[in-house]
Amino acid sequence: MKKKVPFRFVALFGLALLILALFAAACGQEETGAPEENNANEQANEPNDATADESEGSGEGAENSEDAATASGGGEYPVDTIEVVVPAGAGGDTDFNARTLGKYLPDELGVDMVVTNIGGAGGTTGTKEVFDADPDGSKVLFFHNSMLLNSILGLADYTITDFALAGIAVLDEGNGFFVNAQSEYEDLNDLIEAAKANPGGISIATEVGGFTHLQLLALQEETGIELNIVDVGGAADKMAALQGGHIDVIPIQYGSAKEYIDAGDFRTLGILAADTVDLMPDVPTFKDQGVDISFEKFFFYAFPPETPQEVVDMFSQAVQNVVENNEDYRAEAENFYVSPTYMSPDEATTYIQETEAYYEELLEGVEVQ
Amino acid sequence: MLEMIQDGFSAVFTLQTMILVLAGVALGLIFGSIPGLTATMAIAICLPITFGMEASDGMALLMGLYIGGVSGGLIPAILLNLPGTPSNISTTFDGYPMAKNGEAGKAFGLAIVFSFLGGLFSILILMFVSPPLAQLAVKFGPFEYFAVTMFALTMISSLSGNSILKGLLSGLLGIGLALVGSAPIDAYPRFTFGFDSLDAGFELLPVMIGLFAISEVLKIAQSQMRSIDHTNAPDYTIKGFGFSLAEFVKQRWNGLRSALIGVGIGILPGIGGGTANIISYVTAKNQSKYPEKFGKGYSDGIVASETANNAAIGGALVPLLSLGIPGDTVTALLLGGLVLHGLNPGPLLFEQNGAVVYVIFAALIVANVVMMIFLYFGMRIFVKILSVPQHLLLPIILVLCVVGAFGVNNRLFDAGALIFFGILGFVLLKFHFPITPVILGFILGPIAETNLRRGLMYTQGDFMPFLTSPIAAIFLLFALGSVMLTIRRNVKKNKESETTIAS
Repeated sequence: MKKKVPFRFVALFGLALLILALFAAACGQEETGAPEENNANEQANEPNDATADESEGSGEGAENSEDAATASGGGEYPVDTIEVVVPAGAGGDTDFNARTLGKYLPDELGVDMVVTNIGGAGGTTGTKEVFDADPDGSKVLFFHNSMLLNSILGLADYTITDFALAGIAVLDEGNGFFVNAQSEYEDLNDLIEAAKANPGGISIATEVGGFTHLQLLALQEETGIELNIVDVGGAADKMAALQGGHIDVIPIQYGSAKEYIDAGDFRTLGILAADTVDLMPDVPTFKDQGVDISFEKFFFYAFPPETPQEVVDMFSQAVQNVVENNEDYRAEAENFYVSPTYMSPDEATTYIQETEAYYEELLEGVEVQ
Repeated sequence: MLEMIQDGFSAVFTLQTMILVLAGVALGLIFGSIPGLTATMAIAICLPITFGMEASDGMALLMGLYIGGVSGGLIPAILLNLPGTPSNISTTFDGYPMAKNGEAGKAFGLAIVFSFLGGLFSILILMFVSPPLAQLAVKFGPFEYFAVTMFALTMISSLSGNSILKGLLSGLLGIGLALVGSAPIDAYPRFTFGFDSLDAGFELLPVMIGLFAISEVLKIAQSQMRSIDHTNAPDYTIKGFGFSLAEFVKQRWNGLRSALIGVGIGILPGIGGGTANIISYVTAKNQSKYPEKFGKGYSDGIVASETANNAAIGGALVPLLSLGIPGDTVTALLLGGLVLHGLNPGPLLFEQNGAVVYVIFAALIVANVVMMIFLYFGMRIFVKILSVPQHLLLPIILVLCVVGAFGVNNRLFDAGALIFFGILGFVLLKFHFPITPVILGFILGPIAETNLRRGLMYTQGDFMPFLTSPIAAIFLLFALGSVMLTIRRNVKKNKESETTIAS
């Protein structure tokens, strides 16, 4: 008798753990998935069916879907769940934009949408994941300019236009330069004059080979100044470095700096927009101050190469509807100081190719060790 | 302020919010207690659920998960010698030997009570002195970080067991493993041998779980292959918290010092709880009159580890709430949660959303109490795990570890890495190399390198500021002192053993 009791306990315990494991597996797949609790529960109940079928039957799914699409006049999206891969950590601006759009897109497409963060290696781990994925519409990449840089600098051997581009959804025009409120520089020209008087003596933050690095290179080239460019890490690290007085100037998004400006901690030297931005009418642009450079951060959706055109179009159409017509979405995005701006796959390709050419020109002769 | 605190508590003490805190702590404890699943993962999974809630409810749930997730790891650490999360690595050093000696009840009691006290201490600090502390934290630039990491790396000598040489080799191995992947600053791929999967390097979780948990499973499996002994359940008795008031009073300085270390390390963005428990343990050992008792089932060891890891929670929230700077993956997720609720963490959070901030404080305190109650009543059940036959328990643990490793980045590569590090850990154990220095090197190596390179970029190649910045200089002196002390201790020990051999 004595032996029996622990065994029954063991069986129960084992069962409990297995259920837990399944639950965890389902959630792990979902990571930070569908916004409603109902959805999460549903998936947890049938973790195997839901996820395994999708990944294994994907090749088949693609074929079927073509038939289905042509039969019904392109009405139905071929898969039930779309995984949006964000090649950056949770909590950053890429993640924020992906998740905000991810709240509204599922209704347009009649699918579930989960956002997975696959960080690392400057985003190349995540982009590679999508590049190699099955082209059935079940996996889409959401990323920004950095991908162009990764290919120009040779960190990735493919570029945005190698994917099946589904268009651009958001532009962030608030790429600004900021100083501590105690700084002696009131505007961009103060900085330029100080830099001319003391070449290499003013420190400015960047991530080497990142988007901000380009901005600094362009500024140096345009104005002929020389700055001490220091890699201090990501946006949060840059803000910490400015608060701690380690660095003189930091380039970050206006939306991230707004709070600190309101609190009287930071001051803006201007943003790199082509024109005054409606969302931030009082912020001077670099052009206003006589420095003719402009940068925009663009966020795009891209499917693996070879994804059927009608799938890409269907997705792109849904993005357009949300970005242009959904007031709730627009309000949420603008609250974060980004401009919802739709560009179709063709428009986006032209735009990206032009941008790429400009970046290449800027980076020519720059050695990133 | 008192009024705000009151409001915070009355918001938490509504039925719905209370249920969320309870559920958060319970789920957090489960995630924490399963090797491979961590607080980070619990929060990542529940984050989307909170989007549909009121901001204060969502935060209450997340705080419950955070407290539970950090605390749950003490269960497998004490019972099975498997750290549930990186925060519990040094809990295994004395917790497991105590459980083996039949003192599982006492080990649990101490771990639970001091987890509670450490957590409470750090929450109070977070509530009352976070703005000045956060200001201090941002004063730490690359020079200071480099010096602190150097100091922390000298801890390896105290974690080396019998052979300093083996300890140092282990530490170097950890640093070497951390070199794999894109280099900091210029993202140049190193030691990837052309494999794309290696571009991002190894994740901490598969490395940690592999080295500690998988290797332990392999070790047990090997040692029990011949014996059909189903269980290794030692005798245990649990009465109350398992320790007397006198024993509690004896730990007061140790507890306070460990809490301070936990908060201090927690505040520095980027270092966090995984390091806090190890440094606190080593400090307790070095300061103790009986350092030789550590590692053999000594109360002070458990107290040091468990106080510090929970104290790191409040510490990590200091820069997050007062400056909007996340210090580790958990706080980065919390930052995302706040932003998605329209609350922008930063200098204005207290002014603009004071109510939510005080709900967060209240939820933390309540979750901390709930955690203690759950664990207190739960420990009688947990110890039953020991009567589960190993051949059933070990496969389950293995499966859960793989699930956890996969969950980090949704990549199968991480599961493969886990197995690799499990085998590596097993080999290291067989050759009597200590494993903790590997982890310490793995965590601290990149921090040291990144900050050295950043510092040199600031100074355009000049080393002097590393020595002339006052905070950096102090920590470098500490590091030097720590090395000298170890050398002296070893010389003395060698002389003693020589004399014993001679006589």
